Amino acid sequence: MSEFIQLVIAGLTTGSFYALVALGYTMVYGIVRLINFAHGDIFMVGAFLGWTVLTALAATHMPWGLGILIALVLAMALTGGIGVVIERFAYQPLLSAPPLSILITALGVSLALENGVLLIFGPGFNTYPQLIGSGGFMIDGARITDIQVGIIILSFLLMAALYFFVHYTFIGTAMRALAVDRDAARLMGINVEGVIQITFFLGSALAAVAGVMEGLYYTEINFFMGFVVGLRAFTAAVLGGIGNIPGAMAGGLLIGLLEAFSAGYISSRWTDVIVFLVLIGTLVIKPTGLFGERVVERM
Amino acid sequence: MKTAIPAGRLGVAALAIAAVLPFLTDNYVTDVALTIVTYGILALGLNIVVGYAGLLDLGYAAFFAIGAYTTALMETLLNFNFWETIPFALLFAGISGVIIGWPTLRLRSDYLAIVTLGFGEIVRIIAVNLDITGGPNGIYGINPADVLGHDLTSPKSVYALGLVFLVIVLVLVIRLGQSRLGRAWTSLREDENAAEAVGVPTLRVKMLAYVIGALIGGLGGSLFAARFGTIDPTSFTYAQSVTILIIVVLGGRGSIPGVLLGAIIVAGLPEALRFLNLWREFVFAVALILLMLVRPQGLWPARLRRIAAPSADEAHDVPHAEVAKQIAAVTAGDPETLLEARNVTRVFGGLKAVTDVSFTVHRGEILSLIGPNGAGKTTVFNCLTGVLPPTSGSILWDGRSLSGLVPHKVVGRGLARTFQGIRLFNNMTVFENVLVGMDHRFRVPLPAELMGLPFARRSTGLHYAAGRNWLEFVGLADKAGLRAGDLPYGDQRRLEIARGLAGQPRLLLLDEPAAGMNPTEKQSLMGLIRRIRDLGTTVMLIEHDMLLVMGVSDRVIVMDRGQIIAEGAPAEVQSNPRVIEAYLGTEEDDADDGPIGNIPVGMLA
Repeated sequence: MSEFIQLVIAGLTTGSFYALVALGYTMVYGIVRLINFAHGDIFMVGAFLGWTVLTALAATHMPWGLGILIALVLAMALTGGIGVVIERFAYQPLLSAPPLSILITALGVSLALENGVLLIFGPGFNTYPQLIGSGGFMIDGARITDIQVGIIILSFLLMAALYFFVHYTFIGTAMRALAVDRDAARLMGINVEGVIQITFFLGSALAAVAGVMEGLYYTEINFFMGFVVGLRAFTAAVLGGIGNIPGAMAGGLLIGLLEAFSAGYISSRWTDVIVFLVLIGTLVIKPTGLFGERVVERM
Repeated sequence: MKTAIPAGRLGVAALAIAAVLPFLTDNYVTDVALTIVTYGILALGLNIVVGYAGLLDLGYAAFFAIGAYTTALMETLLNFNFWETIPFALLFAGISGVIIGWPTLRLRSDYLAIVTLGFGEIVRIIAVNLDITGGPNGIYGINPADVLGHDLTSPKSVYALGLVFLVIVLVLVIRLGQSRLGRAWTSLREDENAAEAVGVPTLRVKMLAYVIGALIGGLGGSLFAARFGTIDPTSFTYAQSVTILIIVVLGGRGSIPGVLLGAIIVAGLPEALRFLNLWREFVFAVALILLMLVRPQGLWPARLRRIAAPSADEAHDVPHAEVAKQIAAVTAGDPETLLEARNVTRVFGGLKAVTDVSFTVHRGEILSLIGPNGAGKTTVFNCLTGVLPPTSGSILWDGRSLSGLVPHKVVGRGLARTFQGIRLFNNMTVFENVLVGMDHRFRVPLPAELMGLPFARRSTGLHYAAGRNWLEFVGLADKAGLRAGDLPYGDQRRLEIARGLAGQPRLLLLDEPAAGMNPTEKQSLMGLIRRIRDLGTTVMLIEHDMLLVMGVSDRVIVMDRGQIIAEGAPAEVQSNPRVIEAYLGTEEDDADDGPIGNIPVGMLA
């Protein structure tokens, strides 16, 4: 039982990272029908920006909570800005081009981000300062650390905030209108380009939070870290039904749990195979993902 | 537009240069050239999936891996020689093509990305984790290919082998592109549902794209294993799949010279950029983004026209290609009652779009289905053509039930249709659009067509001539080579009709053929509909233009709110009070004024 609880907590923690990153995939897909292959690397960039801020603050001896808050906010703002710049220069000119062309620029952006970080920070691992101690508590023999609790709580708060933003604000309504019909939204006076950029900002900022938290949790970051997380998060977005925000959250947590259980009960060598087989099996049974809706085309 | 001959000459010249290259340069250049050739083969294979069929595949390296591991394992464990392993490499790659194709067939195209990516990763992880594949270290000591007892070990000789493979693949993909399968793939890429509705068996055609793409990938893998003598999983990563995809899209999807150019750039550029050291990958990435921004269609976009329509003289010289003879051949034995709908009901959610509709279609008549918007007319068409299964009721065609048949099977039985909103294959020529509509009755086996056997050539000639004659029948023969999407509106409508007719239907369903036409065009459309009937094809149309309906119809069926409210000759229907009520609504006054009598035709429109 204690192992089970341990795995659930570990799965929810990594699942929180996947869910936050999956939100970026799903929001961008919902609005511009682009699978943003650079999004995993946006997460990586967020982790490096957070690392840079925290390392710079280390000398000031400010309380660790404040330091983390500053790092999170700065990483979110800067990564969000990078997301907007990428959208403006690499994607916006191709929004009406064949979908594969924009997919290739996304792959190009992904390569550029990885190699850009490689050039600046080098190929090795960068170590996050150990700010949050290894304190924690026990439930039924399972050890749960403070940082795990913090990560899960913060992720749920952010997801709830996003959900309310999308459903109860003017911009959120505009985003949903765009997802249904971009041209009609434009005709209704919505600033389409602006809303798309806000979407990229939000997605990138959420990925940055995940990046900083991952750095704090595993302590080591690397220019290649975006690949695996990006892949899992993308899988999560599809599993939940791409374009669907609660679906991405649920998908992320599910993938995190699946990963923890397959590593705990089978072997971590087969984790990816299991994750993909579950995904493919789900799609065969329900081709639109768990929460996706069927789109009926008129003839 | 480039014509076929100079492009062909250019290709031959390029191959000649490629052939003499090893004699002019050193082993390093030959080695890079062999890498380009290998990528060329792989990209030509992926181009079938991505370029021709418009499907996404982010796990193409899996087929490459399966070919390479098959050759490696059979050589090292079973002492097969290189050539003996090739059939097995193709077999296993082909089977894996089926395995990946099957679950993806019904998926939305965007989901293909992750499923194919997952498949590629699964294959790689299996290779890493199993003992038989040598785990992360891979397999050593793979024998080189041998020809007449000589091992091909020198860079020059392996390069020659690669070039031979490339030429074989090139010939295959060029022939495929010109074949009916190539057209079917392109139609799938342009509009999958329309393709299915005009007779393309879309599921089988998609599967064939994955399988043939997989075969070529497997062949590339065998070559790769024999070249290096050692393989390991790092050659078959996601990054490898992405590289091959970049070659296809950067070069130009569906364009064979483009794909080869892409291979030269993507495989050659990193070599040329070696002086940049650490900056190399970054510069490559930025260059890739910029190239895509400047040329979204690719560096050498695909030519529009793959095959040319025969000239009028050529087409008229072919016996049995006349449209009248074609139709006479299929409609000869038609029964008096061609189609019978019995109590057809279709429910969407809680809404009954069509309720208990029964009618018959008689041989050789022109039958109109009219009614206010939302009456359920198009839903009836969709039920007849297999697009939507009726919730209850049955449809008898020539005495046999049509229920459970997918749209392309219904087309095969002799029911063709057009669409309310025009759905042409825009990026194909006018001629090729018509050919897609008639390919389902082209009986020559595909291998014979690809090899150009004499009997296949004769049949192809007849097929093309018939296609051209259908264009002439609707008055578009002189526009055969144009891009369908560039035609003016009225011509697009007529092309849709030609595409439907070319399948030799016994019943043609026209969904609002006159929508958006000007009076002159409508007039000529009326003539066209009559000429179609005179050929022997029965016509059923949905139309709002009452002038046209009353002018051409033998019978009219009126629907309102999902039900048939009147049926009969045009004049009877026009004076039917229920019809008038459906179109104009009722007011208390109207009832007191007595029967309105024949309302002017214009008011109903």
